[in-house]
Amino acid sequence: MARRFAAILSLLCLLVPGGAAALDRAAILTEICSGDFRAQQTALESLAGAGAEAGREGALWARAVVQGFEGRDLRCGADAAFIDRSDGLVSAETLEPASPGGDLSAPSVNLRLRATAASAGFVLALFTEESAEARLRAAGRLDRRREAVSAAVLTAALETETDPAVAQAIGDIRTSLLLRDADPARRAEAIAAIAADATLRNRTTIAEALANEPDPAVQAAGKAALAEIDRTLAIGNALATLYSGASYASVLVLAALGLAIIFGLMGVINLAQGELIMVGAYATWFTQEAIRIVLPAALDWYLFIAIPVSFAAAALVGIAIEATVIRRLYDRPLMTLLATWAISLLLINAVRVGIGTQNLEFHQPGYVSGGFPVVGDFIMTSNRLFAIAIAAAAFFAVLALIRFTTLGMNMRAVTQNRAMAGAAGVDTRQTDRLAFGLGSGLAGLAGLALSPLYNVNPTMGTGFIVDSFMVVVLGGVGSLAGAVVAAFGIGQINVAIEPVYGAVAAKVIVLLLVILFIQRRPEGLFAPKGRR
Amino acid sequence: MAANDATGRVERPGLFRAVAAMMAAIAVALPVLGGPLAAGPAGISPYFANIVGQIATFALLAIALDLIWGYAGILSLGHGLFFAFGGYLVAMHMLKAGYAYNGVTPDVMTFMGWTELPAHWWGFESAPYALLLILLLPGLLAFGYGYFSFRSRVAGVYFAIITQALTYVAMLLMFRNDTGFGGNNGMTGFSTLLGFDVGAQATVVGLATVSVLVTLGVYLACGRLMRSPFGRILIAIRDDEDRLRFLGYDTLWPKLAVWTLSAVIAAIAGALYVPQVGIINPKLLSPELSIEIAVWVALGGRGALAGAVIGASLISALKFWLTGFAPDLWPFILAGVVLAIVTTLPNGLLDLRLPSLRARTARAAVAHAGARAGARAGARAGARAGARAGARAAARAGEPAAETGQGG
Amino acid sequence: MPGGQAIQVDGLRVAFGDFVAIPGLSFIARYGEIHGVIGPNGAGKTTLLDVITGKTRPKGGKVLLDGRIDLLRLSEPEIALAGVGRKFQKPSVFDALSVRENLELALRLEPRSIRAEVLRWGDARRAGRVAEVLAEIGLASVAERLAGTLAHGQKQWLEIGMLLMQRPRLLMLDEPVAGMTEQETAHTADLVRRLKAPDRAVLVIEHDMAFVEEIADRVTVLHEGAPIFEGGMAAARANDRVREVYLGR
Repeated sequence: MARRFAAILSLLCLLVPGGAAALDRAAILTEICSGDFRAQQTALESLAGAGAEAGREGALWARAVVQGFEGRDLRCGADAAFIDRSDGLVSAETLEPASPGGDLSAPSVNLRLRATAASAGFVLALFTEESAEARLRAAGRLDRRREAVSAAVLTAALETETDPAVAQAIGDIRTSLLLRDADPARRAEAIAAIAADATLRNRTTIAEALANEPDPAVQAAGKAALAEIDRTLAIGNALATLYSGASYASVLVLAALGLAIIFGLMGVINLAQGELIMVGAYATWFTQEAIRIVLPAALDWYLFIAIPVSFAAAALVGIAIEATVIRRLYDRPLMTLLATWAISLLLINAVRVGIGTQNLEFHQPGYVSGGFPVVGDFIMTSNRLFAIAIAAAAFFAVLALIRFTTLGMNMRAVTQNRAMAGAAGVDTRQTDRLAFGLGSGLAGLAGLALSPLYNVNPTMGTGFIVDSFMVVVLGGVGSLAGAVVAAFGIGQINVAIEPVYGAVAAKVIVLLLVILFIQRRPEGLFAPKGRR
Repeated sequence: MAANDATGRVERPGLFRAVAAMMAAIAVALPVLGGPLAAGPAGISPYFANIVGQIATFALLAIALDLIWGYAGILSLGHGLFFAFGGYLVAMHMLKAGYAYNGVTPDVMTFMGWTELPAHWWGFESAPYALLLILLLPGLLAFGYGYFSFRSRVAGVYFAIITQALTYVAMLLMFRNDTGFGGNNGMTGFSTLLGFDVGAQATVVGLATVSVLVTLGVYLACGRLMRSPFGRILIAIRDDEDRLRFLGYDTLWPKLAVWTLSAVIAAIAGALYVPQVGIINPKLLSPELSIEIAVWVALGGRGALAGAVIGASLISALKFWLTGFAPDLWPFILAGVVLAIVTTLPNGLLDLRLPSLRARTARAAVAHAGARAGARAGARAGARAGARAGARAAARAGEPAAETGQGG
Repeated sequence: MPGGQAIQVDGLRVAFGDFVAIPGLSFIARYGEIHGVIGPNGAGKTTLLDVITGKTRPKGGKVLLDGRIDLLRLSEPEIALAGVGRKFQKPSVFDALSVRENLELALRLEPRSIRAEVLRWGDARRAGRVAEVLAEIGLASVAERLAGTLAHGQKQWLEIGMLLMQRPRLLMLDEPVAGMTEQETAHTADLVRRLKAPDRAVLVIEHDMAFVEEIADRVTVLHEGAPIFEGGMAAARANDRVREVYLGR
């Protein structure tokens, strides 16, 4: 942004010679009253530039004069001018009440002067109107009445403008002004200035300008600028793809980490993992609703308050599943597939009947809406950043938990050799249960992380289980680092192939890759080393 | 890697014959009660015959899954893929035949804006060609996929999930309109099958009868095959594949053979099913249906073809009945059935027979069954369990001790 | 043939990731002998069997059967068909098959094709051989029972019976008497001695010193994947190094 302004400012210094001159109110009024159309024209143009040269105060004055001129309320005396207001005359120079000495006459007006005055009025409205809506209206009118507007004054208006929509409108007018300058050198410079901000929108603007460009030098410069923009756009698009892949991957990581921990420990694939994601998302929603009632002021922070809630909700459901069903099935892994599928069916339909099938509405606080423009059209959106941050934090927390806590040590021991760990005094039952809770809780966090990103409804989890399992297969059972690498690989492949060949092709290719891959490495990317 | 959930049981000859006799009786009753005697007091409507025919194809599908899961210990959660494959092929045949011989323009052509059918529909108006493809293509697909999976020793949970992923992907593919199989809407509006009007009452009853007969034939043939040495090899694979390899059997080939056979049977079931329901769409490929097949087999009892037939018939009959007036209830009931089986009846309904058998027959039978279950429980624990302890374990039928004993 | 090399292991190196199970092992078992392999836990005994049967692939070294067949190039079934039989530590029989069917499966009359084997299942030689072995392992009376219903010791014998059906040139037993009563151990020792044949080498891996002493012609003591002693059992008991690492201080 800053670079763009700098470029345009330097350009404007060339375009508007002597733009920094102070506003000489008396001289302007004299010119308006002179009766010479050319002098009057110049005066109106100076008034239009008042906002740029004399700030808001100057603009307010200039607007009063212009309105007086337009409304035929301006009165010219011998050596001073006045404005005829309903409550009496005021001095046109100071806007203070005044009494004229001598004859007064309205200045002469022709059609062209009237148009210039209207244009100047709109320009000045940009500097003086309080409401953004009024400024936007003024900008819209200004686009059709350009008689009194210059690029320099629009730049000044942009500097003080706070509303993005108005700024956008002003910027567009300025751009087209610059591109239509009579001097080819200035047009080329304008193109260069626009090209400094490489967005698809600016690319279109330049391309349109080039279509009617007669000057070969400007043509060449424009082509070069387009090529440069294309390069930047390509980088931006690549980064945007990577970024959206990374955010999908982080949801996958959370779901797959849980799956990998449970599978590594107990040889159980939890087909209800997708529904635990759903439980986490619903827990997030309930947290939001509870805060809305109890503590509306803290509503914006509900996503953070929901972190422990969504984890705990999914973990509790997971522990309940383990205690009632999985516990009975440790030696029958194929049956656990059916059992956990049945549980997922129960959860989906319980939510469907109990809460409904509609997508839940989530409040989007500032930290998950909008984003940071990075390069080209690539905007680092906050909702995706939020998902990535949650996944990264959870991953390192799990890593620490496994490395440094007793539960982690027990989990590692049981994963390697259940019988031996049991003989060595590890409570394998409790370890299983807690690990199942941990794995389920991670799915709950996935639900939280994706709630600002995806639709939340009873069947939201079904799409994730296949991808999550592919991550576990690719990454290697019980390998956390493998799960992360595989999740990012699959996430990236998905988003990279999708725009080109479609979502279905992406899924087909991922599946084929996984099948081919396990031909060569049945143990996955990062198989745990050791005797099996 | 993962231990197979073997049942440790072999088929019961009495039950096997009873189910065969039942199917034979239905095959005779259907054309009689649905044909000449349809107006009589015991007559059945074409609607009822149609449901019986559909259930027969489900039973056939369950037999296909039982071959690989119950006998060879390989669980597929993607048998809907082969079922739908057969269904799509027969649907293509019926539409193309109707188009070529009767001039009925398939809906597919209308809503896809085709002026003629795409190249892959070539030759489908010929019934022998379609039948050949129904037997060949699903078999080839299964062979290719099975070869790569079994060669790299993909087994257990891995294999099951990947079959499901495969089916899921196939569903996504079929949902697309540009795949050329009717996309979301699928195919419907069949007019003719082998020259018969598919809407006619006689055709409906005839199709149902043929479905029951084919199921019966496959049932008898597979029963024979599973009792043959080939069946013993499959059971050995399920019990301890490594051991069998160390006896010099390259288990790749028996597994591949039964897997391919199972896929072809599933495709035949699909080819019988679609003319009876009159529509096929990608929902047949949804993971739910494929898992439901496994539920039929688990309910009936793995490793017993009679169990597969009973399980499929019971659950689908219940579903037909329930979806009439309480469709919302169905998922809860299905989930409940699954949880009940996996937690209390590891061998499905076959477990229910034990107590009643014990109550009615001599004690010797009790001691024998008890010794079995007990010894297995003992072996798992690494202890030397005697027949006495085994009898005690078996007496507590359904409790965890006996359950783990049978779960190996 | 007696006295010839049945199995020759040369410079064997096995590692699982960073963990080196066998750093370098050379070892020979001869026809006509029962060869005991003993050593403390983690000495690499079971790993050695895994390599010979093709279950584990080594990082380096040579394993030759009969002095000419390179076992490292063969798959598990091919190794079994080449004449290597293995009894697992935990009894591995097919629970859902009868004792007779278990034995029938173990005989390969048509090693080239499973299809041919299945088609010629009713061959009289199979029934004859099964009857012989049933008598030999003493399970003739339970021939029709499901193997899963057998007692632990009976399962071990059934598994040995399956190995007898195979007629292996190299027979490897992994802790055949673990978890057996004294009586069962004696019966097993008897069985193992009967396994001895001029054209067969028997490799017994065992913890039970008394059992090894009773049956083995020669013992090899492994320690951390390397042989530290080879010779008679009595000499092994007297060897200082062996006493140090295995028999206790």
